[in-house]
Amino acid sequence: MTTSTSARAGVGPARAGSTPAPALAARTRGLRKTYGSTVAVDNVDLDLPEGAVLGMLGPNGSGKTTTIRMLLGLVRPTRGEVELLGHALPDGAGHALPHVGALVEGPGFHPFLSGRENLRRAAAFEPLLASGSIRGAVEDALERVGLSPAAHRRYRGYSLGMKQRLGLASALLVPRRLIVLDEPTNGLDPAGTREIRRVIAELHAAGSTVLVSSHLLSEIEATCTHVAVLHRGTVVAQGELAELLRSGSQALMITTPDVEEGLNVLRASRISARPAEDGLRVELTGTSAPDVLRALVGAGVAVHEATRPHTGLEDLFARLTEDDGPDRGAEIDVAFEAEEELR
Amino acid sequence: MTAETLVAATARPRRAPTGRLLASELRWMLRRPRTLIGLGLLALVPVLAGIGLSIATGDGSGPAGEGLAAIIGGNGLLLPIFVLFLSLPLLLPLLSAVWAADGLAGETANGTLRGLLVAPVGRARLLAVKAFGVAALSFVAVVVVTVVGLITGLITLGGGGMISLSGTTLSLGDSLARIGLVMLLVTFQTWAVGAVALAISACTEHPLVVVSSVLAGLITFQVFSLFSALDWLQPFLLTSAWDPLANVISDPIPWQPLWESTGLAACYLLIGLSLALWRVTTKDS
Repeated sequence: MTTSTSARAGVGPARAGSTPAPALAARTRGLRKTYGSTVAVDNVDLDLPEGAVLGMLGPNGSGKTTTIRMLLGLVRPTRGEVELLGHALPDGAGHALPHVGALVEGPGFHPFLSGRENLRRAAAFEPLLASGSIRGAVEDALERVGLSPAAHRRYRGYSLGMKQRLGLASALLVPRRLIVLDEPTNGLDPAGTREIRRVIAELHAAGSTVLVSSHLLSEIEATCTHVAVLHRGTVVAQGELAELLRSGSQALMITTPDVEEGLNVLRASRISARPAEDGLRVELTGTSAPDVLRALVGAGVAVHEATRPHTGLEDLFARLTEDDGPDRGAEIDVAFEAEEELR
Repeated sequence: MTAETLVAATARPRRAPTGRLLASELRWMLRRPRTLIGLGLLALVPVLAGIGLSIATGDGSGPAGEGLAAIIGGNGLLLPIFVLFLSLPLLLPLLSAVWAADGLAGETANGTLRGLLVAPVGRARLLAVKAFGVAALSFVAVVVVTVVGLITGLITLGGGGMISLSGTTLSLGDSLARIGLVMLLVTFQTWAVGAVALAISACTEHPLVVVSSVLAGLITFQVFSLFSALDWLQPFLLTSAWDPLANVISDPIPWQPLWESTGLAACYLLIGLSLALWRVTTKDS
C-alpha cells in the first residue's frame, strides 16, 4: 500500500534525517490478540499519520476496540508490536501516554461524585498537570464540552449524552498530541453529534492527531482525513479517505468526443468499455488507468479528461465487509498503485 | 528535534506527584456513602457494648462474662481493647475487604480503572495507591473504634487505672500505651486481610466476589480451628493469630505470642500483595 510505504520510511531513526517525512503518531505491526481459541485481532498493520483524523470503521466485533486497547497499552498483544508517539509499548507507556487522551468503551465515572469531582479525580492522575492548574484545567474542559451548567450534579443523574461529554472532557484535560475516541457519538442527539464533530475539527486544526472509531459511516465521512477499515479482526483497507473513495470504484470515466474510435481502440486492447455521458466508461479490471490512457492517446483519441467516479463510503464499506472474497484488501492495494501511477 | 527526542527517550517519564495520588484516593474513598455508613455503624459497636456491659455489671450481679468481660466492670479504659478484639474477627476484615473490592474490582467494573491506567499511572504504582487507601482506612476504622470505645468506657464504666488480666493495676500512662499497642496490632492484622482481599480484587471485576471470598475464608478458618483433627493447620490460619493478642493486657506482657501473631500476619500481607502485584501487572484491562 503506497501510503504506508511512504510513511514507514518516516518512522524511528529516520526522523533524525533532514527530510521531513510524514511521522506516525501510532503504528502497529503484525498485531495479534487471542482470547483462548478466539482470535480477536490478527495481523493488524495500522498507520496513524501525525496530524490526521483517522476513522476506524468496522462492523461490531471486527476488532476496533481491541486494537485501540492495545494501542493504549491496556491490553498486551499476543504477538506484534505497537509504537505510540515514537515509543514502543508497553515499556514506553510512561513517556507516550501523558500526551494521549482517550475515551474507550464508553465513559467510566463514579456515580456518587459530581461531574466536576469526577474530572478532578481524573486530573489528579494526569502527569502533565501541575497541581496548581488542576482546577482551571477541569473548568476549561467542562466549558469546552458544554457541561459547565451541570458540573455540580452527580454523575448518577446524567443523561447518556452528558456522560459521553464528560468522557470527552476528561480526554481534553491536557493539550494532547493524540486523542483516541472510541464510539464518541454513542447515545448523543444530533446536536451532540455536531458538537463532537466540532471538537474533532478544533483538535485537528490545532495539530492534534485524532483516532476515532465509529460504525456511523456518515460520521467518519464528515470528520476524517484518513480511514482504516477493519473486518474480522484485520485491516482490509486504509489510507486517505479521498483516495480510498476514488479507488473504491473500479472504473475510469473518459471525456472524449471520439466515442466510436475510443471504443474500437480499447476493444482491440481487450479492455472492456462502454459509451457513457460525454465519453466512455472503462472498467479497470485486468488493466490500469495508465494503460488505458496510453492506448487511447497512442491511437490519437482526443482525451479531454479522465476521472475516477466517487463512490460513497457506504458502498466501499459494504464491498469490503459484506463480501467475503479473500483478496479484497489486495484489490484495494492494486487500485492504489494504479492511482499513484495515474498522477 | 533529534536532541529533544534523545532526551525524551532517556529521561524518566513525568509522573503525577505521589502525594497528590494518595490524597485523591483518600478523598475518593471518604466521599463514598458506603465508607461513611460503614464507619458510622462501626462506631455504634463500642457504644452498644459499653451500655450493655455497664447494665450487666452495674446491678451487682457479678462479672459480665469470662476473660476480658469478667474484669471490665468499673474499668472503662479496657472497653476500647475489648471492642477492638470484638471487631477483629469479622467487622474490621469485612470493612477492609469492601474497600479492597471497591479499589480494583469496583473500579474495573465502573470503567474508571482504565482511565487511571491511560493517564497513565504505572500498574505497580496504582496498586501501591490502592493498598495505601485500604491501609489508611483500616487504620481510620481502628481509630474510630478506639476513640469511641475510650469515651464510652469512661462514661459508662468509669475511669481509673486499668486492671490487667493478671490482676495488677496499671497506671494511666501504661494503660494508654497498651491501648495504642492493641491498635497497632489489630491494624496490622486487618492489613493482612486487606492484602489478600486486594489480590482477589485484582482477579475479578465483581466486588461481591471479593467480599464473599474473604468472608468465606474467615468462616472456614474459624470452623477449621474447632476440629482437633486439623490442629496441624492451626499455625497457618490467620484467625488463630488473633486470640493470643489478648496477652497485651497481661502484666508483664509476654511478647513471644504477639510476635508470632504479627509474623503470621506479615506472611499473609506479603503473599497477598505479591499476588496482587503479579495480577495487576499482567492482566488485560
